[in-house]
Amino acid sequence: MEKNAGWQWEISAHRPWFSLNLRELFHYKDLIFRFVRRDIIASYQQTILGPIWVFLQPLFSTFVYFIIFSRVAKISTDGIPPFLFYLPGTIIWSYFADCVNATMNTFQINAYIFNKVYFPRIIVPLSTILFHSFRISIQLLLFLIVCSIYAVKGNPVHLSWQVLLVPVLIILTACFALGGGLIISVLTAKYRDLDNMTQFLLRLFMFAAPVVYPASLIPLKFKFIFWLNPLTPVIEIFRSSFFKPHPLPIMYLLLSFLTTFIILTTGIVLFNKKEIQIMDVI
Amino acid sequence: MAKKLIEAENISKYYRLGVLGSRSLKEDLKHWWAGNLKKSLEPTDPESRREIWALRDINFFVQQGEVLGLIGKNGAGKSTLLKIISRITLPTTGRISGNGRIASLLEVGTGFHGELTGRENIYLNGNIMGMKKKEIDRKFDEIIEFSGVSRFLDTPVKRYSSGMYVRLAFSVAAHLDPEILVIDEVLAVGDAEFQQKCMAKIKSISKEEGKTILFVSHNIQTIRNVCNRALVLDKGKMVALGDTESVLASYAKLSRDQLLGNDFSQQAVLPGNDNIRIIRVELIPKYLNQFHVIDIRTDLSIRFEFIYHAEEAEDLMVILQVFKNSGELIFELASPDHTFKNGRVKGESAIPGNFLNDGLYYISLAFVKNSTTRLFYFDSCLSFDVEDYKDSGSNYGKWSGIVRPAFPLNLSQEQ
Repeated sequence: MEKNAGWQWEISAHRPWFSLNLRELFHYKDLIFRFVRRDIIASYQQTILGPIWVFLQPLFSTFVYFIIFSRVAKISTDGIPPFLFYLPGTIIWSYFADCVNATMNTFQINAYIFNKVYFPRIIVPLSTILFHSFRISIQLLLFLIVCSIYAVKGNPVHLSWQVLLVPVLIILTACFALGGGLIISVLTAKYRDLDNMTQFLLRLFMFAAPVVYPASLIPLKFKFIFWLNPLTPVIEIFRSSFFKPHPLPIMYLLLSFLTTFIILTTGIVLFNKKEIQIMDVI
Repeated sequence: MAKKLIEAENISKYYRLGVLGSRSLKEDLKHWWAGNLKKSLEPTDPESRREIWALRDINFFVQQGEVLGLIGKNGAGKSTLLKIISRITLPTTGRISGNGRIASLLEVGTGFHGELTGRENIYLNGNIMGMKKKEIDRKFDEIIEFSGVSRFLDTPVKRYSSGMYVRLAFSVAAHLDPEILVIDEVLAVGDAEFQQKCMAKIKSISKEEGKTILFVSHNIQTIRNVCNRALVLDKGKMVALGDTESVLASYAKLSRDQLLGNDFSQQAVLPGNDNIRIIRVELIPKYLNQFHVIDIRTDLSIRFEFIYHAEEAEDLMVILQVFKNSGELIFELASPDHTFKNGRVKGESAIPGNFLNDGLYYISLAFVKNSTTRLFYFDSCLSFDVEDYKDSGSNYGKWSGIVRPAFPLNLSQEQ
């Protein structure tokens, strides 16, 4: 009998820690965009306002924050008109929260597919991140429109060169959310208890980022911890690039890159190691 | 000899039933605590001891261009093996090596989204199954032609009838073009006409296109029609592997073992009580094929013998109950009341062919005194499996209903 020395693939109980197969991922690139397309089409089927919801969601939240935190609690907005202050924070935060939420439930939501067909599982979280990135791009357009309305009315809008960093900031947020979501997805797949807990922690986490208050409110002794959160430089740099030119907090930005890199790598490695084993426990 | 495309070595799969997944963090921590700190203590909770080997030391290979059939009863481990080959679950031990792209059809229409149109779903499902967009573009016309739903291509599939849905789904699957195809028979669903189309397509993929196929079924007829080699699984173990005809004979023996009755005459204590002692119970099928498999046409006779003992003369009646495997009582038969002398009593009954539908059944016997008092109940003393029988060219699907009588139904027309 002819002996094939080299097999093209192998299935065994042992799964190496670093097994992300980029060539395979490339083979499935059409699937990534297909999922994005599916989510875009499906999310606004049978809604009256359709895609307008992409705009309405951040506007509603911003309005609520405006009432509660600005009018009632009277928290400083660093001299920026409150509505303009909350809007970018809200947009970035909801992008982050949506990405984490979608990613962490990857296994539960897609169990019906994962039980029938093989493809690199990481495709699902990647496509959800892309879907939400599509949404945030539209929302940022909305932000630009609101900004120009304010500028025309004579409010202080000072664009600085830091605006060029916005895409980097969004990618940083995406990587942070993806990494965190992947880690949580692996942990919550086995223990549903953690699912409820993470929902709660995620809500709390919003207050650990300068979404509804400026970073300048943070006491000095908590400053380092506060800035360790990658979302802090993201939101702060975003705001300052439009309204209040601050010097770029370069150290903190680099630190965010490092934190995000560690979280993302951990997430991907863990997810790849466990993606198939998890299907036995779901 | 042809090139090997898949080689499986020592595949085993271990499951802990009722433990994984259903356990909360608290229970796992408790378990870990018990396991690490109190090693001497066995887990007290019997639930955590329910462990099974779904597969044990499976070895086989598949050569280029051959169709390997995988046959076994429910729970034999077919689906587990299929899932391992499809990379949906990992083996506990062992290794499968292979060459070429595998496509697994464990289901048709995986990932179909109700809100999307037929057209969108063709692409979505195709991509999920590992096709590239270009490939689907190329085969798109063929796919819609095969499905016969071209008029509804731009309608969301949630508005489709279930028949249309399955047609569209199978059409995508039928146009996958992998080197190795793994097919679960259950996917041939839908109306009779379409099922035939599915099976014909599967046959043509194997015979004309020379594809390598791993085909799973629990039906002997289908395996014989489609496969040139077969692998028989029973309770997770390999029972036979070889050319279809010889292997099927051992599969038949396997099913025969399951339904043979019990002869207790050599036992020290016969099952029963002071009034009734069972000597033997048996089911004797009148086989119609050389494989000795009970199919829906097979006449069955049931014989039993017991020792009867009563203090005073009383009427005795035996009730024979036939249950579906799910526990549903299909029917019961009662012997006429009669006063017997103490001693051996024989009983005989029959279930004609063309009466029971295919499926698993079991029989229980009740011994009743004076039509009111139950003396003894011999629970599930016989069990048997009725296989479907299909003439070539007939409906491939599952017949509905509990019974399946061959009553006449004829049509005529005045000239």
